[in-house]
Amino acid sequence: MKLMSLGVAAVLVASVGVQRPTAHHSVPVNFDQSREITVTGVLTEIKWVNPHAHFRINVTNPDSAVVEWLIEMGAANTMRRAGFPMDRFMVGDRLTIIGNPGRRDRTMILNETVLPDGTHLTPTMRPRDPTGAASSGE
Amino acid sequence: MNVTAVARSLALATLVLSTDASAQRVIPPVPAGQPDLSSKNWIAGGGRTEFNDFVYTADGKKRFDAYDFKKDDPAYGCIGASWTRIYLNPNVVIQITQKVDSVRLQYEWMDIDRLVPLVDPTSANPRRSNVPGHPALGYSAAWYDGDTLVIDTIDMEPGYVTTMVERAGMPQSRRMHTVERLSRQGNVLTIATTHLDPANYRTPVETVIRYQATDWELMKYGCTPEEAAVVAPR
Repeated sequence: MKLMSLGVAAVLVASVGVQRPTAHHSVPVNFDQSREITVTGVLTEIKWVNPHAHFRINVTNPDSAVVEWLIEMGAANTMRRAGFPMDRFMVGDRLTIIGNPGRRDRTMILNETVLPDGTHLTPTMRPRDPTGAASSGE
Repeated sequence: MNVTAVARSLALATLVLSTDASAQRVIPPVPAGQPDLSSKNWIAGGGRTEFNDFVYTADGKKRFDAYDFKKDDPAYGCIGASWTRIYLNPNVVIQITQKVDSVRLQYEWMDIDRLVPLVDPTSANPRRSNVPGHPALGYSAAWYDGDTLVIDTIDMEPGYVTTMVERAGMPQSRRMHTVERLSRQGNVLTIATTHLDPANYRTPVETVIRYQATDWELMKYGCTPEEAAVVAPR
């Protein structure tokens, strides 16, 4: 798979088969919801915007090359309504991101993130069910 | 409108929705003779979304097959692709304000603000309004058919009925004629839309989308093409 051939620190975790709400450029259209990956890297940009909030993170590959990933989320408005603690993220944080890989290289949609202190957060602020259906899906 | 409905409308005049820290709105009374669509705000999630089994024309199928989600979605430019595309967006609020001579529908998605004149549906050339900056949303006129708000829209620029999931890229031509029928069943707002577009479809495309009442207020969306078009790492 092209995404995996990049050699980035992405780990295929599980296969999921979930239909979620969709919007803007549509999660099922842009992301492979049959798979979930985990990426760890350093936060370089935070954008709480609509229709999609996003992070940029720098990921160090096994060959020590640093590559950027774009991590998409739902609409900032939706995350605010869910009570997502946006103020807990700072450029320079080392984050682990769990989500579905994008159909563009080095992109994914965030289903869950792990903060430096070990806190797990989902965009909906609800625990994910075993199928990973907690993403707001926008 | 009966006495009970009048009393309810007067009571609604002073009702204030709870808020998410944005400005509270005072809900104006529903004009006599109109169904109450405005005493609550609405958010997606009122029930199952339905598409009928429509049939493409040969050209319509070609256009559908040619859709490239990586570049063709008007949302990358913060632009509405069609009314159905807007209603299909989850997690955003719609606010309706009813007046004697117009109805205002404010869609949180892309901050679309639609003030539609109420007209005589038998008029051959009714007054219509558009949404500046969103040419695929055409020119609309509205009226009430019993408890249903009917919005009739023509003169659209090409767009997409939807850009989502397996139907992403369903085309809309300049010949599209869209009729939305909005009706309230308690805490559910049903939007049943018929799309007639002989350039792309041999049969009507019919959708039913359901919203639920919400206490959330509209929030500013503030989409910018510069941010909306960010879909890949640098």
